Amino acid sequence: METLLAFLTVFTHPELLLLVGVGTFAGVYVGAIPGLSVTMAVSILISFTFSWDVHPAIALMIGIYMGGVYGGSRTAILLNIPGAPSAIATALDGYPMAQRGEAGTAIGVTTVMSFFGGFIGIAVLAVAAPFVSDFALKFQPRDYMLLAVLGILLVGSLSTGSLLKGIFAGALGIAIGAVGRDPLTFTERFTFDLKLMEGGISFIAVMIGMFGVSEALMQLHHVNKAAVRQKISRIVPSFSTIRKYLPLSLQTSSIGVIIGALPGTGGDIAALMAYDHAKRVTKSPEVPFGKGAMEGLVAPETANNAAVGGAFIPMMTLGIPGDAVTAIMIGALFIHGLNPGPMLMIDQPDMFWFIVGALVMANFFMLLFGLTGIKLFTRIVEMPRAVLIPLIMLLSIVGAYAVNNSISDVYWMLGFGVFGYFMRHYGYPLGPVILGVILSRLLDDNWRRAIISEREDLGRFFAGLFSSPLSTILFLSVVLIFVSQTPLWTRAKARLARKAA
Amino acid sequence: MTTPVPEHHDGTSDATPGGYENDRRPGELGFALFMLAASLGLLWSAYDISGFEALSAPGAIPMATTLAMVITALIIALRTARLPLIRGEGFVKDILPGTVVVMTLFLIAYALLLRPLGFLPTSALFLVAAVKLLSGRGWAFTLTVSLGSLVAIWLIFRIVFSVLMPAGIVPEAEFIQMFRNLLGGKA
Amino acid sequence: MKHVVFGAVSALALGLGAAQAQDYPTKEIQGIIQWGAGGSTDTVMRAVTPHAEEVLGGTVVMQNMTGAVGAIALNYVADAEADGYTVLMGAENPMLYKIMGLGDKDYSEFTPINILARGTPLLVANSDAPFNDYAEMVEYVKAHPGEVRFGATGPGGLPSVITAMINTIEGKLDYISVPYDGDGPALTALQGGAIDVMPAVLGAAIEGVRAGNMKPLAVFDVAPNSKLPDVPAVTSFNDGYNTYLPWGPFFGVFVPNGTPDDVVAKLSAAYSEGAKNPDFVELMDNRGFTLMGISGDEANQFLTKWQQGTAWLLQDAGETKASPEEFGIARPAN
Repeated sequence: METLLAFLTVFTHPELLLLVGVGTFAGVYVGAIPGLSVTMAVSILISFTFSWDVHPAIALMIGIYMGGVYGGSRTAILLNIPGAPSAIATALDGYPMAQRGEAGTAIGVTTVMSFFGGFIGIAVLAVAAPFVSDFALKFQPRDYMLLAVLGILLVGSLSTGSLLKGIFAGALGIAIGAVGRDPLTFTERFTFDLKLMEGGISFIAVMIGMFGVSEALMQLHHVNKAAVRQKISRIVPSFSTIRKYLPLSLQTSSIGVIIGALPGTGGDIAALMAYDHAKRVTKSPEVPFGKGAMEGLVAPETANNAAVGGAFIPMMTLGIPGDAVTAIMIGALFIHGLNPGPMLMIDQPDMFWFIVGALVMANFFMLLFGLTGIKLFTRIVEMPRAVLIPLIMLLSIVGAYAVNNSISDVYWMLGFGVFGYFMRHYGYPLGPVILGVILSRLLDDNWRRAIISEREDLGRFFAGLFSSPLSTILFLSVVLIFVSQTPLWTRAKARLARKAA
Repeated sequence: MTTPVPEHHDGTSDATPGGYENDRRPGELGFALFMLAASLGLLWSAYDISGFEALSAPGAIPMATTLAMVITALIIALRTARLPLIRGEGFVKDILPGTVVVMTLFLIAYALLLRPLGFLPTSALFLVAAVKLLSGRGWAFTLTVSLGSLVAIWLIFRIVFSVLMPAGIVPEAEFIQMFRNLLGGKA
Repeated sequence: MKHVVFGAVSALALGLGAAQAQDYPTKEIQGIIQWGAGGSTDTVMRAVTPHAEEVLGGTVVMQNMTGAVGAIALNYVADAEADGYTVLMGAENPMLYKIMGLGDKDYSEFTPINILARGTPLLVANSDAPFNDYAEMVEYVKAHPGEVRFGATGPGGLPSVITAMINTIEGKLDYISVPYDGDGPALTALQGGAIDVMPAVLGAAIEGVRAGNMKPLAVFDVAPNSKLPDVPAVTSFNDGYNTYLPWGPFFGVFVPNGTPDDVVAKLSAAYSEGAKNPDFVELMDNRGFTLMGISGDEANQFLTKWQQGTAWLLQDAGETKASPEEFGIARPAN
């Protein structure tokens, strides 16, 4: 009974309801603007809500979080510029749809599917949080490393053109992620003895440069071409459409929850993995992937919103953040006099249920704000390019600066913008670069932890892979996916098929 | 309704990559060679981090990845060199037209002026110049649109998100404090 | 310089008066937090600053500036105008930059506004570890060389100082040191069994200990901590630790040297008043931090003593890149 009351706190207090709504609304826009991140918004809210009670403060933060994760898809679909890292995969199929004038449909499906994914994430949080967090704790450094390798194999599905160029781009990304002082030993890497390089290259700066500025430069080729008129008459997808993608979205939501719950991985990796998964399991999409396949929208968007609920799992059960945003929320709880940790669930279970309630509410608001106000967004895209392009460039600059308040990030962003422009012209895919940067530390740090734990002994390291079922499964998936991408496999499969026939 | 036929096959997104499978674009070989040279440089730099000290050394993964870059860059360069140059495309016309060069120069100028001049003046100059150049419309339109959007961006980033862009010659902080004092009355 | 002139001229023009220090603050103060959002430095600073703002009658805009173990933020503030409008909110690490080869600046280039609080190190182990207190652990490590995995956070971090103490006092132990980028991730790994032992600041581990997810081996202090009264002080196992303890990481607010005295005085007053706020005191107490609230000469003395002790401890344990002597850090007189 008390549980129910705590869960309903949000619904019965109009001011909390309002705050979740305001937060979600703001979040959609924060998420949509590249460079304004949810992390940043939530950490500013800590000071802003300092004198408030804990409930309204958390309600507002949760709204921003939910809305922000969803909002990244907007600009990805309309402008081919992901507003947040977790929307990179969304651009792959969302933008081609917008180019055909189907942005309305794309946004509609994205919104409903984000809602669905968010709901699955919250449901798992509410029902199975302790189990999932126990499972997440089981991940050893070698498992994280295998997960990173699994992620790197996504290069195959992200590079539509030449696989070789994709591999090159992915490796470049990993190298970019290594720039600066190594976080484990503080050794300088790729810094060329320059102070400017010591802090490393912000991954957001790379992303904004490659997707924002290079896209803007690309669009300069058609400054005078009229923008595509968007059909926005039918936005809410039909029930049969939703039912069709239900099985896929269940699978990708599960990917989202697990990846979100793992400390150290978040919605960005989840979305990319889900995209890859969709590409694998969808045998015959109506529209090919990369040309506007609906599956390519459903997968990343369900996964990144499911990751929100996932990220709260270790936070609520153990006081361990599932991602950057939950890390700040732990700080907020602490400032408001609570002691986030494993005892929180036992001492103050009502806090847990309050958060679940607020998440449910935020998810509904996301659906509401997602399906309305699309006109305004499409207007932005229909603006004359002569105005839109300079604005995108300026926003990219401010956004890159805002990440870490540093001018050098602006220089990096511009550099990668121009570099990305040439990469696009010559058929080098950009997605793998970002993938590499995201995974760089996960791979590097955990490889080193794993091999140090085995005293630099490769034999012991490989033996370790088979000492736990989790490692074994991950290792086998890595091997399987790797083999399935080599030409050998295709030939073997063809031969098998012939024999069977 | 336009169908997304990418004119000049220019790679508007990862989904529709630029380049051709059987032809070489102008400048593509140069880019491939540049990538190869850069990869070699990075490999050397990676070796320089810690050499072959240990499997767990900070330089281990960087060396592995830069080696992968060198190998792929080499194959890409060789393949590109063998392809025939595409007909009907020119470097200036299709890869680096005048507007792109000018806008890139604008961006470089922006980066250089940002610190000494400050965010507001630099951005105003940039927006006005860029919008005027690209749209070719009258001054009234240019000034309204660019200054209006600059104010909006400034309000969002500076006031709401308190991102302190370099103030330069405009005493932003003093202005804001003055408004705060006017509104709130000083404690 | 140009900035100051323009600023002053416009201030005059606006009729705000020119006497800068007296009216300080006439604009918002930029507070640079050396560590990322959600970390303990971040949380402490965001918790105390609103109280200080009230006393100060101004606004402090806090920004996280991460990278290169905090050196980016340190250099940024050191290079900023010494006018009290750029403030560094940092932790103890810069005191070891020089000897660790991480930078050429430390807090000697700064005037301490307030050293807010000090943390107490706590040695914790995985709850399934085959030892239950500090003495058993040392024995176990000696009996099983090269098997026990200790969490670490890089050269100069709290674990490196604690293990240096252990190695100095118990003789060199053979264990595996697994690096993590912060005590949060390391404590997560400890609960998952990826590492066996972790020296961490008490506040970070306390909730896990209370829940029984990890077991405390010893408090690295001269007396047990009131937050965990059942955990013995490490000095009760070995007297040798009295030489080095009490020791702990600290949080402080700093401005570059050359900041006008009255500005420093105003800021110091604001922060020491703010740190006395009961909400803040309770919050720090809950996390097991010892409030210090010192400034001026007292703070300088504390910094010097801290640096000498720690630098030479690490030097003697062979963990430094350069000798403290090179930077004029005197060996503490024991």
